[in-house]
Amino acid sequence: MSDELNELYQQVILDHSKSPRNFRRIDPADRTARGHNPLCGDQLTLFLQTEGDVIRDIAFQGDGCAISRASASLLTEALKGRRQSEVRALFDRVHRLVTTGGGATEDLGKLAVFAGVHRFPARVKCALLAWHAALAAVEGQTQPVSTETPAD
Amino acid sequence: MIASVDYHESTWNTVPHRFEAGTPDIAGAIGLAAAMDYLEALGRDRIFAHDQALAAYAYERLGELKGIRLFGPRVGRAGLVSFLLADVHAHDLVTVADQFGVALRGGHHCNQPLMKKLGVSSTARASFYFYNTRAEVDRFLDVMREVQRFFGVA
Repeated sequence: MSDELNELYQQVILDHSKSPRNFRRIDPADRTARGHNPLCGDQLTLFLQTEGDVIRDIAFQGDGCAISRASASLLTEALKGRRQSEVRALFDRVHRLVTTGGGATEDLGKLAVFAGVHRFPARVKCALLAWHAALAAVEGQTQPVSTETPAD
Repeated sequence: MIASVDYHESTWNTVPHRFEAGTPDIAGAIGLAAAMDYLEALGRDRIFAHDQALAAYAYERLGELKGIRLFGPRVGRAGLVSFLLADVHAHDLVTVADQFGVALRGGHHCNQPLMKKLGVSSTARASFYFYNTRAEVDRFLDVMREVQRFFGVA
């Protein structure tokens, strides 16, 4: 068994993909966003309940691989109770982590388990799908977000 | 290709030459001819029979796996097999298989309408050619068992 594989599919990721947290609808939600990875067919919808700037509740539904499900599940845990205005900065740090394996991880909590993704370039989009959707949700984007931009 | 070029106008060559820009792909054409000679020497009938035999063997062996879902008919298929393992997403399957040296395609195969009809978001697909062997199909099966062990679904 390769170490890289064990680093990619850490126990936390396997656990969250098998039993995703906050895997439900919030109806009605204050904000929703849909994310789609057209290359692999993964799709998810994020639901947010907000109070001012604060994300009071957050949940998701959708279909995807272990990495994308675990990422969405861990994202809901990470963002519950956070301020919407903090999401962009957190997105940037997660983006850096999964694309380079670098950056400070001490205060990222469980999100640090995604450090192994950068060794698998094909799986970076799986890990970022939920984060793209979260950004779209808090920035009020109404179009579904895609991991592929038209320019690709 | 043009017939003549001036400061303010050009005259295009006649059809079909006008549609051919620059130097033709001479090296590519020679390479293609060599590849065709190579395949003809092997025998296209023999290649087809070999691919089919490997696909049929893989189809049969995959049937041994717990939670397997095989797509398409058992006989009369091209040299490939599409499948899914219960509780393992195709992309996770191919990533792990890759680490064991088995290259598979995972995804919707640019065919979302068929995926929709089959009620799946993606499948894994093994394809075979004349350079593959039965021993490699056996190895592929061993690796599928490793995948199931890895994801705890064996």
